Amino acid sequence: MTTPSATADDGPRRLLEDSRRLARRVRAAQRATWFPLVVFALATFAAIPVYRYVHPSLTCRTGQGGNRVCLVYSSAGLVYWPVALVIAYALIATFYVRRARARGVGTRVTRYVVAGVILTLIMGFAAVWMSMHPPIGDNLLGLPLRGAQLAAFVGLAGPATAIGLALLFLAGVERSWGLVCLTVAYLAVVLSPAVILHPLSGHPSVWAFLPRLLIEGGLLLVGAIAFALVQRPWQDGSP
Amino acid sequence: MTGHPANGLNDVVHQRVRLGILTVAHEARQVEFGYLRTSLELTAGNLSQHLSVLESAGLITIDKGYAGKRARTWISLTKAGRTALREEIEQLKLLIRSIDGDGS
Repeated sequence: MTTPSATADDGPRRLLEDSRRLARRVRAAQRATWFPLVVFALATFAAIPVYRYVHPSLTCRTGQGGNRVCLVYSSAGLVYWPVALVIAYALIATFYVRRARARGVGTRVTRYVVAGVILTLIMGFAAVWMSMHPPIGDNLLGLPLRGAQLAAFVGLAGPATAIGLALLFLAGVERSWGLVCLTVAYLAVVLSPAVILHPLSGHPSVWAFLPRLLIEGGLLLVGAIAFALVQRPWQDGSP
Repeated sequence: MTGHPANGLNDVVHQRVRLGILTVAHEARQVEFGYLRTSLELTAGNLSQHLSVLESAGLITIDKGYAGKRARTWISLTKAGRTALREEIEQLKLLIRSIDGDGS
């Protein structure tokens, strides 16, 4: 062998420092956080015509006391979100794999994509169940929930939750505290009673859903721009 | 083997370039020859020598293929490679603690 096993440069501290520096460089090369955020922002904005132009559905239930409870919901939304999010994850997986091949480093995105699709399916089933079983007398699944609590619980079955929880998973995969902070802020806003209750407040406009979608999509887009400025995807040719 | 951490170091792994190869392969899961050559600032021949040593020791696997018309060589860590890397890092930390302890 021409190279000795250890040289004067191989002091333990130097070796550890080099190892950590290389690991950081690989992680930086693997990160493309801006892309999923852009895709989800676009999917959120693309939902606007779906909510606007497809007529809402109505499910009614009668309680024990004879009181009748009706729930207005977007049946198109129930179909749109699972399809849109699965397509989004397919795009994200394709992007990461192509980028990994181009840059010469592997990707750990598979776990994120699988988790995202599972969360999407769970959210889809929960949303369908919620629409078929409107809460009667401030009671949902035996839980005594009222007003804002009930709205927050119903909001948990929304697409924003599925997107947010999957983004937390991506933050773990990419070891990104920045994405953790962004996702926590995103979830705090989109699950806040003020945002969830707005379309439920009896507003007569056919655009009542719009502020919520603009807030959700806007937050994701701002996050995407911030990450793009940090990660500089236009310099992808560099190692 | 005595209790001194230097005795626990693996001669194959305890070297700047080879430790670098294992570290990059561990973080990347799969790494292309060109990326390794650039990030470790080596010539192709020098890198190939180190890869041969690690492959002979069963610490990495080397897969050759094509991306379009371009030949690509991908390096992955084996289970033994992951273990060797983890043990090397642990031994290095022990060694540093040992040196710091002697100096105090």
